[in-house]
Amino acid sequence: MLDLLWADNVSFRYAAGAPLVVDGVTVRLASGALAGILGPNGSGKTSLLRLLSGTHTPTAGRVLLGQRPLDQVSRREAARQIAVVPQETELAFEYSAIEIVLMGRHPHLGVFAVEGPDDVRIAEDAMAATGTAHLASRSFHQLSGGEKQRVVIAAALAQGSGVLLLDEPTASLDLGYQLEIATLLTRLNHERQVTMAISTHDLNLAASICRELVMMRDGKVIAAGPTADVLTPDNVRRLYDVEADVHINEASGHVAVVPVRRLR
Amino acid sequence: MTVLRLLRRPASAGLFLSVLLLASLSAQQPKRIISLVPNVTEILFAIGAGPQVVAVSTYDVEPPEVRSLPTVGALVDPDTEKIISLRPDLVITYGSQTDLHAQLKAANLPYFDYRHGGLDHIFVTMRALGARTGHVDGAERAAHTLQAAIDAVKQRVAGKPRPKTLLVFGREPGSLRNIYASAGRGFLHDMLVAAGGNDVLSDIDRESAQVNTELILARAPEVIIELNSANRLNDADLKQVVAPWQALSTVPAVRNKRVLVVMGSGLTVPGPRVAEGLDKIARALHP
Amino acid sequence: MNIRRRIVIVVGMFALFTAAVMLWAPTVGSTAISLTRAFDRSIPWDANVDAQIFFVARLPRVLAGALVGATLAAAGVVLQALLRNPLATPFTLGVSAGASLGAMLAVTMRLEFGLLGVTSIPLASFGGSIVATALVYALAVSQRRGLSTNVLLLAGVTLNAFFSALILFVQYIADFAEALRAIRWMMGGLDVAGYTPIVAALPFVLLAFGTFAMMPRTLNLLSVGTDAAAARGVEVTTAQRLAFFSASLATGAAVSLGGPIGFIGIIVPHLVRLLVGSDHRVVLPASALFGASFLVLCDLAARIVMAPLEIPVGVVTALIGGPFFLWLLVKRS
Repeated sequence: MLDLLWADNVSFRYAAGAPLVVDGVTVRLASGALAGILGPNGSGKTSLLRLLSGTHTPTAGRVLLGQRPLDQVSRREAARQIAVVPQETELAFEYSAIEIVLMGRHPHLGVFAVEGPDDVRIAEDAMAATGTAHLASRSFHQLSGGEKQRVVIAAALAQGSGVLLLDEPTASLDLGYQLEIATLLTRLNHERQVTMAISTHDLNLAASICRELVMMRDGKVIAAGPTADVLTPDNVRRLYDVEADVHINEASGHVAVVPVRRLR
Repeated sequence: MTVLRLLRRPASAGLFLSVLLLASLSAQQPKRIISLVPNVTEILFAIGAGPQVVAVSTYDVEPPEVRSLPTVGALVDPDTEKIISLRPDLVITYGSQTDLHAQLKAANLPYFDYRHGGLDHIFVTMRALGARTGHVDGAERAAHTLQAAIDAVKQRVAGKPRPKTLLVFGREPGSLRNIYASAGRGFLHDMLVAAGGNDVLSDIDRESAQVNTELILARAPEVIIELNSANRLNDADLKQVVAPWQALSTVPAVRNKRVLVVMGSGLTVPGPRVAEGLDKIARALHP
Repeated sequence: MNIRRRIVIVVGMFALFTAAVMLWAPTVGSTAISLTRAFDRSIPWDANVDAQIFFVARLPRVLAGALVGATLAAAGVVLQALLRNPLATPFTLGVSAGASLGAMLAVTMRLEFGLLGVTSIPLASFGGSIVATALVYALAVSQRRGLSTNVLLLAGVTLNAFFSALILFVQYIADFAEALRAIRWMMGGLDVAGYTPIVAALPFVLLAFGTFAMMPRTLNLLSVGTDAAAARGVEVTTAQRLAFFSASLATGAAVSLGGPIGFIGIIVPHLVRLLVGSDHRVVLPASALFGASFLVLCDLAARIVMAPLEIPVGVVTALIGGPFFLWLLVKRS
C-alpha cells in the first residue's frame, strides 16, 4: 500500500513563543483511504490539515507527498495533487458558483492562460457530481449553507487532485445536508478513488463514513487505527471526557455513538 | 454740588477743564503697543509711534529697530500669555483673530482691529492709528509723503498706453502649475492700476485667482509680472525662474520677452514702502 | 461559455468608450478654439494660439488625467483584492500620505531642485511615497513570517494618521502663502502644461501595470482567502508582495503627478464590478480604462463649470465620490 501523504512526527506553532498546536503527530494516508481526524475544538485538527496540504510548514518533522518532502514541492504542483475544502468560505466580492468552481483549475493554467473548453467541462462535471450544476450562474452569496459547501467541494474536485482534505465539512449544515455530504463523500471515494482525510468533531459522521480514525487531543494523537477498533467508549472518554454508548446501529449498519453523561 | 459751584468761577473752571483734557489726552496715547501685523508695525513707525512699540510679530523685519524687540507669534499662533505678560495698552491684531479678541477683552486690554484692503486703505489705517496713538500730525505727514510718492508714479505713467498685464504672485517653481494671480480686485490690483497697467483678469473680480494655462493663452497678456520675495537674483537665476513660461510662446508677454520679475520682500505689503514697490512695477510696465 | 471571448469583448467596449472620451476632451474647454487652425501646420507655432491651447493647455492635461485615473483605479482594484475589502483605496495604506508629506516639505521649505526635467514637488512627493511604502512593509513583516494583511492594514492606517498629523504640523509652521499653496496641491491638479511630468511618471506606471497584468487570476483566488489561495496553487506571500509593491508604486507615481486625487480608487472599481462582475481579469483592465475616462471627464468639469476659474479636480471627484461612498456604505449594510 502506497503512502500518498505522510505526516512524519510533525509539530507546529503559529508564531515563535506560541504554544504547540500540533505536537509530534504522525498520520499516514494510503492511496484510496477515507480517514477521519477526530477531536474536540482546539485539538489541532485544522492545523494538521494545513500541514498536510502544505499551506503551512511544520516547525518540526516533515510532510511527504509520495516520496518527496512537501516543502520542496511548488505550490502549483502540490495543488494539483492535494485539494482542500475549508470549513468556511467568505468572499470579499460577489462571484458566481461556476466562477468559484473554475478557481480550482488555477494550478493547471499558465500565468496568462484563460480557462479553455476542457477546463469548463471539468468544472461542469464537478458541479454535476456534487448536484450543483443548476446553481452555476447563481451568486455564491445567495446560496444556502449546504449549497455553498457543495460548490466548494466541486471546486476542490475540479482541481483534479488525488487527495481531498476536508475541514469540518458538515459543521454548519442541518441534518439533511449532513447526510447528503456524507453520501457524496463516500461515493467520491468509491467511484473516483479520491483519497480523503476529513477533520471533524462529529463522532457519528466519522463513524458513518470513515474507515480509519485518528483521534487528537491538545495537539497529540491519542489513538489511531481502523474505525471499529478505535471508536470505543474508552477512547470517547479520553477524547471528550464524556461517557458514551458505542454500538452498531441496526438501521444504518454502522457504528453509532450516543453520549450519556459528562465526566467533569 | 461743590463741583457746580467751582465751575461758576471761570479761573477754576478753566483749570479743571485743562486738567481733564490733559488727563484724557495722556490716556489716549498708549505707551506700550504690541503689533501682530507687520505692515501695521511699519505704519506705526512711519507716523512716529515707533518708540511706543514694545513687541512685534514673528514675521516683523522692518524697520530695522524691530529686530531687537521681543516677538509674540503671528496670525495663526499669537502667544496670548506673552502678550498679556508684557502689559500692553494697545494690541494691533488681524480682524480674523476672534479668539484673541475675546481673550484680550477678558484681560481688559484694548486692541486695534486691522483688515487688509485696497491701496486707499493704507491711508485710512494711517489716520486711524494716528488718532489712536496720539500722532495725528505724524500720520498726516506720513500720509502726505506716501500720497506724493504714489502720485509721482501715477504722473509718470499717465497718458501711456496700459498694457494687458498678468500679475502673478505665486507659482510652483520650475513649472506653470498652481499659478495665482491678481484678478481685478484688492490691493495688488490697485497697485497694478496705479502703476499704469491693465489687469488682464479684471472681469473675474476677485482678489486672487488660480489661473490655468488655457486662460493665460486665451487672454494673451502683453506683460507678465512675477512678484518674487527674493531680494536679489543674478541673471542666470532670473532666466531659470522665468524659463517655464516659454511653453506659452504665443502669449505676447513671452514672445516679446516681457515676463518680468519684481523682487524684494515687503514691497508689496500695504505699508509705507508701497511706493517703492509701485515704482518697480511701473518701471517694469513702462521702461 | 467562452471566457476569453467575454473578457475581450467587455474590455474592448471599455476601451472604445475611453478612446472616445480622450479624443473628445481636448477639443472642448473654457475657450472656443478652431480645430482646423490648431492642426494647421502652415501657421508658425509661436503664432498659433489655438494650437497652443490644444497641445499645451489641454492635451497634456487629458493625457495626465488618463494616466492618473487609470493608475489610481487599477491600484484600487489590486489593493481591494489584497486586503479582501471593497472599501480599500489606494490611499488606505499610507502611500498617499507619504507622497503628500513629501510635497508639503518641498513647498514649505521652498526646495527648488530638479532631476531630468522633473521639478522638486513631484520628486519630493515620489520620495515620500517610497518612504511610506517601505515603512508600511517593514511594519507588516516584522510580526510574523509571511505578510499578514491585517498587520498591513493596521500599519497603513497608523502611518496614514501619523503622516497626516505631520502634514498638519508642517502647514501650521509654514508661511501663510506656502501653507495655501500646500493646501491647494492637496486638492489635486492636472494642468501640467507639458509632457515632461507625464513622461517622468511613465516608467513607474508601466512597471506597475506590467506587474498588474500578471495578477488578475491570482487576485481572484487571493480575494477568497489566503489559505484557499495557497491550497489552489498560489504562492501567497510572493503574490501579496507583488500586489502591495506594484500598487504602492503606481499610487506614488500618480500622486506625484496629479496630487492626491481621491475617490477614483474606490468609485471606479465599484461601478465596474456592478457592471461586469468580480472576475479581476475583466475588472482590472476595465477599471483602468474607466478610471482614465472618469478622471478626464471630472477634469473637464473642473475646467469648464466655473470658467474662467477652475475647481480643483480633487474637489470634483470628492463631490461626486462622497455621496457615492455613502450610498455604498448604506447599500452594504
